[in-house]
Amino acid sequence: MDLAFALSPRHVCSGPPTPVILATGRAEGRVPQEEVWEVLLARANDGDGTAFARFLHAVTPTLRAVIRRRGDGLPPDQHEDILQEVLLAIHLKRQTWRRDAPVRPWLYALARYKVVDAFRRRGASVTLPIEEFAEVLPEENVAVPLSGRDAELMLGMIDARSAMLVRAVALDGKTAEEAGEMVGITAGAARVALHRAMRRLSGLAERMMK
Amino acid sequence: MSDRQSTDDLIRRLAAAPPPVRFSPVAVLGGMAGLIVLGLTFYFAWFGLRSDLLTAWARLPVQAKTVLPGLLSILAIWLALGSARPGRRVVLWPVFVPVALALAMAAHRMATAEGPLLAETLGQTALACLASIAMLSALPLALGVFLLRRAAPTRPVLTGALLGVATGAGVAAGYALHCTEDSPLFVISWYGLAIAATGGVGGWLGHRLLRW
Repeated sequence: MDLAFALSPRHVCSGPPTPVILATGRAEGRVPQEEVWEVLLARANDGDGTAFARFLHAVTPTLRAVIRRRGDGLPPDQHEDILQEVLLAIHLKRQTWRRDAPVRPWLYALARYKVVDAFRRRGASVTLPIEEFAEVLPEENVAVPLSGRDAELMLGMIDARSAMLVRAVALDGKTAEEAGEMVGITAGAARVALHRAMRRLSGLAERMMK
Repeated sequence: MSDRQSTDDLIRRLAAAPPPVRFSPVAVLGGMAGLIVLGLTFYFAWFGLRSDLLTAWARLPVQAKTVLPGLLSILAIWLALGSARPGRRVVLWPVFVPVALALAMAAHRMATAEGPLLAETLGQTALACLASIAMLSALPLALGVFLLRRAAPTRPVLTGALLGVATGAGVAAGYALHCTEDSPLFVISWYGLAIAATGGVGGWLGHRLLRW
């Protein structure tokens, strides 16, 4: 189902019912992609997983549009994350939809709540990829507190494996996958270990600068 | 950073999961009313109803002290349950009708009373009133918040506060059958304060527990 179809007026349930909606209701089953959201969600709540998958696929373009409209400040690569948060919320809260009510007001209110929540948690700050400004950004000429010698000193203060990971990724520019392979753990575990090591290091750096 | 592929995977996993527990307003209503009645029953068994209840009931201020909080409780729980589903418009003004009626009675009393208004407002049993309503409200409110975690309030603080007001007012309506202070000034001050406090606690609980 494409976006234009999802947003077309004949699918808007508020307002007086038009013959088109009635026809859509009756045609349901014969023309599968025109299945009414209400029918799909009602079946889904009765335990029909296929109907629920179809429902989620059907509402996804609309949700993408909502998130895109609301999400000017965030990089588009985070929009899919937010979409997944909304889909998960639809699943968790799907029983709060009343069968005798239209789906759309329920869905939009739920999506608005989750989208606003997601953007608030990510902060309202505008994030832009820094690479595009590489030419115009002034070089930071403040004294870097973490010189090479300090770095080695601090790496000596954390455990050997973490130090190896940090050296590989932060100083030698390797990827988490390569670094993980070096010490014999998966990329995911390497990322977690790296994150914890960096946090310990920044704590150490703060103490050193005092 | 997720891609569309992982979104399709998520949809597949969600479709395979069993539907979550149904949110039942009837369970909320029944559970909370049951706990309130149970608490009041124990309270009356321990402390008794007011001894002159049958004769006093003929007077309007005595009736109002049960009827108005009762009305407030019904309106507030109705709005709380309505606000617990996304996409329902919540109209708040009905809860102010019993409040306005109580204020009108207090104003009328102020205009007609002879004698010290302050002593009448402070009464003899203010602390007992506050403590009783607060204690009897604790369990029903906790149960209501717990059951509403299955719902999806898009304004969790408002939903929690309405739940708190409904509980406090419901308890106050019953407590009035024990309490012998009939001045509308006393009722509006202390019943009002107790109900506002349960509403505040409800709002705080809503902020903490009803977000999703």
